[in-house]
Formats: sequence, C-alpha cells, structure tokens
Amino acid sequence: MSSMEPSGDGGKWLDAHYDPVAGLYTFSSCVDLADLSGDGESRLVLGDLGSGSSGMKLKVYRGTALMSESTLLDLPAGLVAFFMDLHEPRIPAVAVASGPCIYVYKNMRPYYKFTLPGLEVNTLEQDVWQQVREGQIDPLTLKEMLESIRKKADTPLSVRSLRFLSLEPDEMEEFVQLQKQQPIKRQTVITCIGTLKKSTADEDGVSCLVIGTECSDVYILDPEAFIILTKMSLPAAPTMMDVTGQYDVEFRITVACRNGNIYILRRESDKPKYCVELSSHPVGLVRVGKNMVVGCTDESLQGFTQKGKKLWRVELPAPITTMASMDLPTKGFQAVLLGLANCEVHLYRDKNLLSTIKTPDVVSSICFGRYGREDGTLIMTTKGGGLMVKILKRTAAFEDRDNAPGPPLAQSIRLNVPKKTKLYVDQTLRERENGLAMHRAFQMDLSRLRLAAAKAYVKALESSLTPMSSSLTEPLKMNAVVQGLGPSFKLTLNVQNTAACRPVMNLAISFLYDEGLYRMKNPYMRIPLLVPGLIYPVETFVECTSDKGISDIIKVFVLHEGRSSPLLTAHINMPISEGLMLN
Amino acid sequence: MVVGKQMGLFDKLAGWLGLKKGVNVLCLGLDNSGKTTIINQLKPSNAQAQDIVPTIGFSIEKFKTSSLSFTVFDMSGQGRYRNLWEHYYKEGQAIIFVIDSADKLRMVVAKEELDTLLNHPDIKHRRIPILFFANKMDVRDALSSVKVSQLLCLENIKDKPWHICATDALKGEGLQEGVDWLQDQIKTMRM
Repeated sequence: MSSMEPSGDGGKWLDAHYDPVAGLYTFSSCVDLADLSGDGESRLVLGDLGSGSSGMKLKVYRGTALMSESTLLDLPAGLVAFFMDLHEPRIPAVAVASGPCIYVYKNMRPYYKFTLPGLEVNTLEQDVWQQVREGQIDPLTLKEMLESIRKKADTPLSVRSLRFLSLEPDEMEEFVQLQKQQPIKRQTVITCIGTLKKSTADEDGVSCLVIGTECSDVYILDPEAFIILTKMSLPAAPTMMDVTGQYDVEFRITVACRNGNIYILRRESDKPKYCVELSSHPVGLVRVGKNMVVGCTDESLQGFTQKGKKLWRVELPAPITTMASMDLPTKGFQAVLLGLANCEVHLYRDKNLLSTIKTPDVVSSICFGRYGREDGTLIMTTKGGGLMVKILKRTAAFEDRDNAPGPPLAQSIRLNVPKKTKLYVDQTLRERENGLAMHRAFQMDLSRLRLAAAKAYVKALESSLTPMSSSLTEPLKMNAVVQGLGPSFKLTLNVQNTAACRPVMNLAISFLYDEGLYRMKNPYMRIPLLVPGLIYPVETFVECTSDKGISDIIKVFVLHEGRSSPLLTAHINMPISEGLMLN
Repeated sequence: MVVGKQMGLFDKLAGWLGLKKGVNVLCLGLDNSGKTTIINQLKPSNAQAQDIVPTIGFSIEKFKTSSLSFTVFDMSGQGRYRNLWEHYYKEGQAIIFVIDSADKLRMVVAKEELDTLLNHPDIKHRRIPILFFANKMDVRDALSSVKVSQLLCLENIKDKPWHICATDALKGEGLQEGVDWLQDQIKTMRM
C-alpha cells in the first residue's frame, strides 16, 4: 500500500490502493471487471498497450496484485468480458479486439480467434501484382502503377500495396520478393467492441459480440459459432459504442462516429434510425438509464434521450480524458464518471455535479463495478501508468442537489394573490380580443402626443417663449416670484447668466400687461452686467387697479438693446387681488 | 497473578455448581473474513457444521469455556447487512472483530467499519474488550498480524482493552489464545 493523499471528495471514497508505477498504458475501452475464476471474486482485466508499438499485454489483477499476464500480438482496440456459453461453473470469456481479429480467452488461455471477412480487392491492383509475380514489371514500375491506381480507383489499396508505397527504393526489391507469392488481401480493423445479451437479460446470460470497424460497418457475432448474425452500415467509422437490449428481442446500438455524429441502430433496420449531430467531436459516450450522456471536445457534457433529443448541456472546467458509467443497482444509483485533464474526476448525475475526486495524475481510464468482493469499486489508471483503486463507502450518500445557477428557491413559494375580479376578467378578455386595435390606437395617440409636444416646442423656440434662453451668446435663465395679497404685489425676477465665463451686457426688461387692470411704476428696466452664475433679483411693484376680483397675465420680456425679438419670455399668472383699494 | 489464580478457582467452583455466567459477544467483520468458520471451530466438535455458507442477517451461537458461557451474535458481514450491527452494540459485552488478512484491498473497508464501530455512541464510552482475529494466515501472501494492526491503526485504541491474534480458522490455529484472552478480560471486568 502506498501513501494516500487526502482527496477532496467529501469522504465518500476509501483509498484502497494506489500504485503510481504500475506501468499500465490503457484506456477505458480496454478495461473490464469480471469474475474470471467463478469464485465470486471479480478480477480486473486490462488490455495494456505497452509502449504503443510493442509490449502489448493482457493483464489480470486480483486485489492489489498482478495475477497473470499474456502477450498480445497487436494493439488492443477494445476488451470485453462476456459469457459465451451456458456451461457451469459460469466463467466469462474475455474478448480482445485488435487489428482485424478478435482473440477470445477462456480461463485466461487463448481459446478462439475470429477474423473479420476480407474486403473486395481492386482488380487493377490484383493484375499489377500478378504481373510482378510473372516477372513482367520491376518494383519501380510497380510503384508508379500503384500510385496511379491509388489516385483514380474507388476501392482503396490493400495494406501490402500501401506499405510498399511507403518504402525506400532500396527496400522495395526485398519486400516484393517476400510478398509477391502471397495473395492480396484487404482487411479492415476493429475500432470498438461491445456486448449484447442474446436472449435473456440475466446478469450471466450469453452475450453476442458487437464490433464496429474502420470501414463503417457494425457486426453482431454469435458467441458460440462466431458467425456474423447481422451486419449494419454507418455513414462514418465508429469510435465508441453502447449496446443495450437483447439480440432476439429488441436492441439499440448507440454509436459515436468519427464524423462527429452519433447514430442509433435498432433491430429492425441495418441503417441508423436516429442521428445526433454534435457541435464538436464526441470523446465519451455513456448510457444512463434510457438517456445517453456524451462528452465533447469543446469541454462540454451533453445529455440526449434515446431518440436523440437534446436534454441538457453543462460546461466543464477542463477537457475530458475519459468517461465511464457508475452503476450501483443495490442503491439504485446511476451516474457518469468523467476524467478531466486538470487531475480531477467528476461525478455527474444528469447535469448535476455530485462529487469531485482529486487525483495525483491525469486519469486515462475509468472502470466502476464489482472488484474483489466489493460492489462499489472505482478503478482508474493514470497517464503516468499508475493504478488507483477506490472503494465507495457503505454510508456514502450523494446529494441530489441542483448546482446549476437557476431560479432561487423562494420563486417556487406561492404568493397570496387576490382572486380575479369580474372586471379583471372582462378587461383581460377585451385585451385578448382587441389587442391589435388597442395597440394601434395607443400608438396613434402616442404619435399625436409627440407631434403636439414637438410643435409646441418649436413654437416656443421660435418666439423665445421659454423662461430659458438657449442662444449661444446670451444663455439666460429667469424665474419670477409674486409676493403679496394685493392690491399691491411685489414682483421679483431672478435673472441668471448660465454661460461658463462670459458676462452679458446691455439687457433690459419690459412688461406687457392690461393697463386697465394693472399699474406698474416702471414697465421698462435696464439690467446691469450679468456675471456668469450669479442670480440677480430684479424687483418691481405692481398695483391692481380693479376691484372686480379678476386677474390676468403679465408678460415679461428680456430684451437685448438694439434687437427687436426678445431673448426670453415669461408669463406670470397674477393672483387675484384680495385687498381693497386704499385710494 | 495470585488474585487471578484465586478468581480462577472461584470460577471453577461456580462452574461445578452450574452457575456459569453468560456473556454476550458480537462477532463482526467484513464478508468472507471467516466469522462463522471461527465460531464453528469454537463449538464442541460434535456440534460443528460441515459446510459454511454466507450468513444472512445474523445467527446466534452458544458455546462454553471452562468458566464462561458465551452467546455469540454471528453478524453477517455483507455490505447490505452491516447496518444491522449497531442494533446489537448495546447487548454486547465483548466484540470479536475478524479480518481477512489476505484481502489487502479491503483493509481500508475493514478499518472504516472498525472506526464506525468505535465511534458509535453505544460503544464509544464503554470499556468493552475487543478481540481481533487476523484470519486466513494459511493463505500464501497474507499480511502478518502486526501489519494488520498497523493498517487498522489499532494503536489508537486507548480506552479499550484489545488483543490481536493471527489465526487460521480452517485448522483452528490461534483461536484458543484469543478466547483465553477474552475470558480473562471479562473476568477482570466483573471483579
């Protein structure tokens, strides 16, 4: 046991084992858990990619120790454990997909090798090689001919021809000598593998193998005879798949393809039934219940229904490195585990982040299930080759809390809204029925109001009727105050120069009034120089000569000497005289 | 020691008079650690079962030593039954905790269950003796009892008497030593 780092997962996981130098190089598609000995203890089966070009191995772990390993001939593309027969004791076989073959291991010994059927070979290519065999053409001519075939032909060249084209001229002769007697074969390679229960949904029911190939086909293989039961075609090469259902009843194969689309294949048809076009390429595909969860290269996680309808999308803090499903049937718990490039493993149920596990290294593969005798075991391998085993605590509970920012809780509390009155209902009905007319009427009135306002404004501007002068040379402001009960009133005009720094000179004030009603001592006054900003009160007295209890308007004009139009105008509504004439 | 010997004499006397004292013991531990096998070995040979199957829920077994009559609650260790354990903590006067020394992976799970047990209100403040059986010593790469006690951090148990024995329940090796220790502890407690 190695030293354990505390991980910020809220104490839900027990650190059972961490070997940072296990030397494992694998991906989630090449990891599986199965009771390979039939003793009730699950083993961990890994397809190790070795150095990426050599040293590929099939490894089996029991507990913390490596139990067995056997050499693989080619890079493993996928690995699944499955029941291939009904023999007792129930021991699953392991199928490793690599290149065009599936190697089946039973009791960890090689048991059967299945090779995909060869593809059609280009006839021109065949003719060319035939000529080589007969010694009619030399390697350089062969190269030229093959290159022209490669450019023109619809059927791609075989691996042998492609290999030949990549050789240096001095290696060609030897290669041709070695290969020319062999017949040409063209083969595809397996890209992904899955299992499909044959006729029962039982845990230990016999399963068919489902394989996706580079030439965009999906095959379903019979587990006992290894014959192709069904062949289905896709528009692009599959990269990941999820299979559910039973072959004899109804099944559904969800395939993520290299063109960035997800296709859903059903039992009835050999063509995809539904298609989901993603905005970016999928890097992980996991089914949770009836929905599928897809991780994409744009650092997002998206949920879809089984018919391809998008349900939700969440942004992630870092790119996804791997994905796996977490299924705990005893607790009825299903979620998705996401390995992220920032050394974290996130657990999502739908779009809610339930828990975060910090890892000492970036995780490259995740597998959750029964390991040993423990049901909730999380097995991860890291980029640096480490192996990490965590066990879910018996008492761990995941809060089903919606972490996404959304409407606050208070929003769902019902307000005590009064009942709708008859008037309200009638108005609502009227609004609903005559909405268009009401809107038009409102708009017309609004336009008229605006027009009237604009007209009045223009008029005021033209005749300087406002108590504010906006002319650039004499910006002035004036307000008037009337004091007194009558018949004598004191009229105070506060005049202010609102310019920033220029004083105003040569101004005068003149009054216009009904001479039968009012009498004014001096209806014309000169104003002193106005310093900017200061308020100058100009006072005068008005006497009301009438005793009939009526009032009128006195108009005030501020004038510039030598100009006929006033700078500004004010209308003063005089109050009714309440006092008596003294004389 | 002299006192102990005298006690032994009294006990033997009590035993002869048929006044054997009963004591309730809880047998706990993870599934497949060997609890039922150990209890089976402690029973008189004519009452031993041949086939041991995983215990469901719990079973009550009785056996007698020279001075005490044990009633053992053999609890199931399976994850889904482990929440039953705590309902018997009150009645238990001693605990036997069995560990599968060969299961290195689940040592953390055993530690977790032990910590939960020790922190339970019915156990925490009682000076209840705990006997650990580091079982399955016959398995090839089983951990030693010292290593097991390190991994379970037994040195942190300060307020309870505890003892660990390396055992092989299939052959019955090491069991008697543990039971003798337990018997002594119970006697000193009752003094």
